[in-house]
Amino acid sequence: MESGSLATELLRPPSPRRRRTDKAMRALMWTATFIALVPLVLVLYYTLKKGIGALDWEFFSTDPTGSFLGTQGGVKSAILGTLEIVGFAAVVAVPLGIGVALYLTEYGGRGRLAQAVRFFVDVMTGVPSIVFGLFIYLVLVLGGTGGSTFAGWKGSAALALLMLPIVTRSSEVALQLVPGSLREAALALGAPRWKVVLRVVLPTAASGIVTGSLLAIARAAGETAPLLFTSTIVKGTTFDLNEPMNSLPAQIFQDLKQPNDELVQRAWGAAITLIAMILTLTLVAKLIQRRSRGKGAT
Amino acid sequence: MKLRKTGVLLLLSALLALGVAACGGGSSSSSTGGAETAGASEGGEAESGGSSTEGLSGTISGAGSTFAQPIISQWGSELKEQGLTVNYNSIGSGGGVSQFQENTVDFGDSDAAMTDEEVEAAEKNGTPVHVPIVLGAVTVSYNLPGVETGLKLDGATVAEIFLGKITKWNDPAIAKLNPGVELPETAISVYHRSDSSGTTALFTEFLADYSPEWKSQLGEGDTVKWPTGTGANGNEGVAGGVSQTEGAIGYVELAYALQNQFTFADVQNKAGKFIEPSLESTSAAGEDVKFPPDLRFSTINASSSPSAYPIGSTTFVLVYEDLCKAGKSEETAANVVGFLDYALGPEGQAAGEELDYAPLASELREASQAKVDGLKCNGKPIKAA
Amino acid sequence: MEAATHQVSSGGRPRLGRSPASRLPDRALRYGLTALSVAVLALLAYFFVKLAVESRLVFEEEGVLSYVFANNWNVADSIYGALPLVVGTLITSALALLFGVPVAVAVALFLTELCPRKLRGSLTIVVDLLAAVPSVVYGLWAFYFLIPKLKPVEQWFADTFHFLPFVAIGSVPGPNYFIAGLVLAIMLLPIVCAISREVLATVPANLKEASLGLGMTRWEMIRISMLPYARRGIVGASMLGLGRAIGETIAVTIVIGDSPTLGHSIFGQGYTLAAVIANEFNEAAANPLHKSALIAAGLVLFVLTLLVNSIARFAVMRSERQSGRPIAGGGGL
Repeated sequence: MESGSLATELLRPPSPRRRRTDKAMRALMWTATFIALVPLVLVLYYTLKKGIGALDWEFFSTDPTGSFLGTQGGVKSAILGTLEIVGFAAVVAVPLGIGVALYLTEYGGRGRLAQAVRFFVDVMTGVPSIVFGLFIYLVLVLGGTGGSTFAGWKGSAALALLMLPIVTRSSEVALQLVPGSLREAALALGAPRWKVVLRVVLPTAASGIVTGSLLAIARAAGETAPLLFTSTIVKGTTFDLNEPMNSLPAQIFQDLKQPNDELVQRAWGAAITLIAMILTLTLVAKLIQRRSRGKGAT
Repeated sequence: MKLRKTGVLLLLSALLALGVAACGGGSSSSSTGGAETAGASEGGEAESGGSSTEGLSGTISGAGSTFAQPIISQWGSELKEQGLTVNYNSIGSGGGVSQFQENTVDFGDSDAAMTDEEVEAAEKNGTPVHVPIVLGAVTVSYNLPGVETGLKLDGATVAEIFLGKITKWNDPAIAKLNPGVELPETAISVYHRSDSSGTTALFTEFLADYSPEWKSQLGEGDTVKWPTGTGANGNEGVAGGVSQTEGAIGYVELAYALQNQFTFADVQNKAGKFIEPSLESTSAAGEDVKFPPDLRFSTINASSSPSAYPIGSTTFVLVYEDLCKAGKSEETAANVVGFLDYALGPEGQAAGEELDYAPLASELREASQAKVDGLKCNGKPIKAA
Repeated sequence: MEAATHQVSSGGRPRLGRSPASRLPDRALRYGLTALSVAVLALLAYFFVKLAVESRLVFEEEGVLSYVFANNWNVADSIYGALPLVVGTLITSALALLFGVPVAVAVALFLTELCPRKLRGSLTIVVDLLAAVPSVVYGLWAFYFLIPKLKPVEQWFADTFHFLPFVAIGSVPGPNYFIAGLVLAIMLLPIVCAISREVLATVPANLKEASLGLGMTRWEMIRISMLPYARRGIVGASMLGLGRAIGETIAVTIVIGDSPTLGHSIFGQGYTLAAVIANEFNEAAANPLHKSALIAAGLVLFVLTLLVNSIARFAVMRSERQSGRPIAGGGGL
């Protein structure tokens, strides 16, 4: 509609007004990027400032005492709990997710089942984590599976539900990028299909799959809501996944509104620990992703 | 390129190995941990040792009142040194009753005794037992710079404030009770609980006695539909709100008020005296109060003693009479009994004083102890007579 | 399902000549993976059915419409009208979109078009790192930093602009809709930005070159050639962000004010569907109606996110098809 006038306008060298708009919009984009970084810097700076004082050997080596007046202790049980819960969730969800992705790319194709699986995996991606938590709470905690109480593995189950679609989606994308010619070449050489899938397709897509899985793990490690219902908040360290288990996010949530400076500081310290764990995972994932992308380009 | 691919694979396998190792480590150490905690000799000792808490080990989990959280945590940290971990989750009395009824915890805790319906709902898991363990006080705390602790308030005035009828601190109703105190014109910010709370139950029971309007509009109970104010989770949440807001008023347990150096009101009791919440006045609140055999009773406005603080109350630990039939292991049952023995014993009762929880009057303490002694595991008493 | 297996077997035809023994692992893998996928479907079906069945009680008691649209969440009297929660969820999410999306798109444009090449890689990662901060930490930060720092600003704004809609005079409480919206905006920024970036990267180079060749300035090229081309994908990205904002729980629970009433303005206190579940599930365990009301809140949440995500997927898929390049759904996801 406006293209007629626009075309004539464009043929002339840019008027000062157009230049000004261009400059202003560029400046706006610079500003927006700056604004986007402000919260990150503020969160990290403030967390470090408030929490660094809490970090000492005590902090990592003792459990919360729960004492009202005495020393409050550290977050050992929360760190170990997070490792156990998230680790177990990953052990369950990552292979399952890769399996479903393999089915989708290697066997399902465009079939009706595969389309249904794809659709519902997408649906699962959008389900709020707290709803997964609620579901596990209903089925496993109130249902009394394996003894009727809260347990670490139930937290893992909720996190696994959260991770599964993420792993599946990212693995599927990675597997789709494996060229069909590679599969055909291997098949033509007489390799059976299962060997082609496990020895050729999977290793080729490995970096993408690892990236996706690490990101899924990182995402799950920061989740609080589903754990409140399932593994709950306790003090002591336990290595028994069938017992209620502490976790860093839950511990932070518990501590942060306490009218006790020591506890609030512990929350900040725990926040540093959790961020460090998740940042490491994310950065490793991004590095692998970048490397493999670089590889693809050459 | 080949190298990189190998690198990625290595990383993948390392990750997997880590996962497996973590798992393996987890299960192996858990089995040794299990062997330790299930140690028959230790369990036996707890049984034969009667009220002695030596040799307790393992973990019990409880949930409920935030009113009682300071003292239960204190006991927990003392018992921890003896080897017993008490995981107490302060989720509010409503949550405590609920989780107890659903049998997801080893014990619940509520500041108000369960209602008949609540008892009925719990009976699917066995006979619920109320064990009063200690007395605490609900303070009416305020954050009003320039006004000292000890503002005099009566039930009717507090009700008006929490109904939103009195909105300024210099309201004539408050001024009349406090001649000589210079009250600022600050607006009153009401803080109340948003979760289902025993502290709320005690506080509303107190107010309903003095304000017919409160009784008819809001009634009493763990949750009421507040006409005004900001909701906060737990005693700690209300304490946090009061401490951060000038002009705020809220109701919190005495330990929280002292911890935060709150200023709090002297509340008028049945005898017409304005009483400061303290160890002594809380203690007095429990004196000469009649209690029924199932120990479901309330001390709110109940004592006729002129030195009694009117909003003092026991907090109740809730357990099933037959713990093992309710699905607890023999070891857990022994640990729960050990925990209660400790709480009701001289050390436990004395520990309260530091946090300004009053010990139970001796008659009530004996009744509580009798309840604990009556706890069973599969029909057999847990404590050898 | 029949069709799928059929297609699978026709896909595997080249191996027909093998001995049955060597075909065993083949079959095992294929059927194993198929069974796995069916199991995942079954699990999801069970998930949905369980939520629906468990929430039936409150829908029967209150009626579906009055559950969703009645303004009375009154646990004390066992009346569950979730309107304050639904509205709280929608207000905070809308605020998040309002604050977050323009910034996210601008950052995406900056990263694809303006950013010096050297900076681009690291800056992209830095923006993605916003997604690596856990929601409870955002909550913690908002509670101790944002609320006290912004309170005077909010108060000034409320006093000065009280004539605007959704702004009212009166003292501003610390936790409120606005703070929650702001935190959500920060949280959805990396998601919207990552997907927008991928969508913008699909704009054909020749389209951009042609625009510049015509003598357009950079901004004109962006406005006239890129944004219309990527519009649908950006809408999709925003919708995915919205889906996340609707379901976000912990950060919001910390800063929303826990008040099951309709706030009187954007600086009012409220509640969201997710926050009410997090706060009340403990005490609702043994109260069938209350429990059912919370599960219904979960169901409503699920349906809301399903709607929003379906629109998002549809939009992103269209833009995928248009360009023929797959969009993974963003690194931040």
